[in-house]
Amino acid sequence: MVMFFQQILNGLTLGSVYSLVALGLTLIYGILHIPNFSHGALYMVGAYFAYFFAGSLGVPYWGAMAGAAVVVALLAVASERLVFRPLRGAPVLHDMIAAIGLLLFLEAVVQAIWGADFHRLQSPHTQIVHLFGLVAPAQRLLIVAAAFALMLGLHLFLQRTVMGSTIIAMAQDREGAALVGIDASRVSMVTFAISGALAAVAAVLFAPISLVYPAMGDLVILKAFVIIILGGMGSLPGAILGGMVIGFAESFGAFYISTNYKDIIAFALFVLIMSVRPSGLFPGGVR
Amino acid sequence: MNGKTWGALALAAGLLVSGAVRAQEHVTIGFTGPLSGGAALYGKNTLTGLQDAADEINAAGGLAVGGAKYLLDVVALDDKYSPSEAAVNAKRLRAQYKAPVVFVPHAGGVLALQAFNEQDGFLIGAYTSTPAVTEHGNGLTLRIPPSFDGYVQPFSRVEMKRFGKKLGMAGGDHDYAKAWAALIGPAWTGADGQIVSDNPMSYNKDTDFYSGVSRVLAGNPNVLFVGGASEPTALVIKQARELGFEGGFIVMDQAKFDEMAKVLGGFEPLEGAVGVMPLANDPRPGGEGYIAAFRKKHGQDPGSEAGLNYSALYGVAAAMVAAGSVTDAKAIRAKLDEAFAKLPIEHDPARIIGVEAKGGAKITFVLAMIDHGKLVAIDPDKAGE
Repeated sequence: MVMFFQQILNGLTLGSVYSLVALGLTLIYGILHIPNFSHGALYMVGAYFAYFFAGSLGVPYWGAMAGAAVVVALLAVASERLVFRPLRGAPVLHDMIAAIGLLLFLEAVVQAIWGADFHRLQSPHTQIVHLFGLVAPAQRLLIVAAAFALMLGLHLFLQRTVMGSTIIAMAQDREGAALVGIDASRVSMVTFAISGALAAVAAVLFAPISLVYPAMGDLVILKAFVIIILGGMGSLPGAILGGMVIGFAESFGAFYISTNYKDIIAFALFVLIMSVRPSGLFPGGVR
Repeated sequence: MNGKTWGALALAAGLLVSGAVRAQEHVTIGFTGPLSGGAALYGKNTLTGLQDAADEINAAGGLAVGGAKYLLDVVALDDKYSPSEAAVNAKRLRAQYKAPVVFVPHAGGVLALQAFNEQDGFLIGAYTSTPAVTEHGNGLTLRIPPSFDGYVQPFSRVEMKRFGKKLGMAGGDHDYAKAWAALIGPAWTGADGQIVSDNPMSYNKDTDFYSGVSRVLAGNPNVLFVGGASEPTALVIKQARELGFEGGFIVMDQAKFDEMAKVLGGFEPLEGAVGVMPLANDPRPGGEGYIAAFRKKHGQDPGSEAGLNYSALYGVAAAMVAAGSVTDAKAIRAKLDEAFAKLPIEHDPARIIGVEAKGGAKITFVLAMIDHGKLVAIDPDKAGE
């Protein structure tokens, strides 16, 4: 039974990280209809900047996380300004190619600066909490808590602030939003900034129990795409639930069946859900 | 003088310099390996060893073969760990650069190149200890690392004696780890041991090992078999310790103790683990010069990837001299055994003492164990007795 709860904790940890990455991805898709493949690179760059701030400048972990979030938010805004905005009106395929180009570019730049080596980002929270026979490393509990706090924060921002409402309005009807005077380019920039910051925070939360290296975003972005398709493209609750579904499927699959099959289980579940609900768990985009 | 004149002068000076260099012949040492993506570090480490050896040989005036002096040009192409791209790269290295030897640091790439290397006439410098690459009689393959059959028995003996008879299999699911597992399993059960759990994990692709490790530990093993690249292997070990595992580890030779200690913050979590001795800690005399030069040049300790490839290129270069040819791959291959046997120890930090008839390098290796927080050498023949 203890093992069962261990896997729940692990599923929550993985699911939280996946959800945060998927949230940023789905926000951009919902508003701009861009499949932003470079999102995985933003995740990776976030981890590297935190590693730089914490390792080379001696900034504490949480400060490094905030710094990385700001840098990656700016980077995401710059990518919107320099890459995606000039492509507005072009076929979606062009956005996709540009996004993949950006992904490769960022990976190459990071590898040129920091090399291909694996790096470790140390967290100050290395305690291991023993709770009712459960072994829970503090960092994992922290990931879950921080991720849920961020999701709640995002929800409040979108529902309770004017800025958030303009984002939702844009997602629902771009032209309508423009007609009532919403500044589309400002909304785009804010959305990219939020999405970049979410990716950076997810990376910095997860990095202490993993490794920092140039290709670290590749697998995460693949999973994030599966998650937003699963949850419904553009849907925020879909991204969170989809992230949890994949996280739990991996965790339980790896424990009860075999690590060899855990991706098969996650993707089989994906196929199953898609065949029952072809437009995802929460179709219809941002509400 | 105006800009144009300066430009002309610079051009003339450039021509003079290149003219001086042209008096020397060049021979290309080909390399195809992962230089980007997840395995980029591994590819770069192997390439560093080749490049260092080539730089030293060139600085010493090059190779004297058949009355001419040859400088070695290492040309490295990225194959992203893909066998098909390795094959394309090798074809290009052969056709465009006329490389007599192509180094490849992965088994898939080696097997792909073996389909045509005898026909195209180039030697493969195979950096993989997968025994299969030298088992089907390719006449132009040099397998650089030792085959791992030799590790399996002593590893099992040492761990079984210290920790107990129950083994949990938590190695990688890549081909190399599977080949290891296929040998370690029978060696363990053959010595009256018992395999209590078996759950290979994807060391290269997984983001998290929590579930995988807890599944292996559910069988209450005394010893865990682990192994993949150093850094993820360290994470697996860390995970096992965090989940309360107090036994020992059999560490596959792909993972290195010094690199794992960097991730783990020291040797303590590795207590009782047995594996191969890191090159920089090798207790045998003779390698100090190489290690010191490497530290000075790169600011870190050399790993076995760099060391083995460094030795290998020195051996291949010596074989070219002995064969009197930088182009005839067959003649070079024929002289490899002799060349490695005569290689001075300062050019051979990896201790390659010869080459078997099938193409595997003969290497004497040292086993290492973490004992009371320290890395100690153990004799493979007396291990566990």
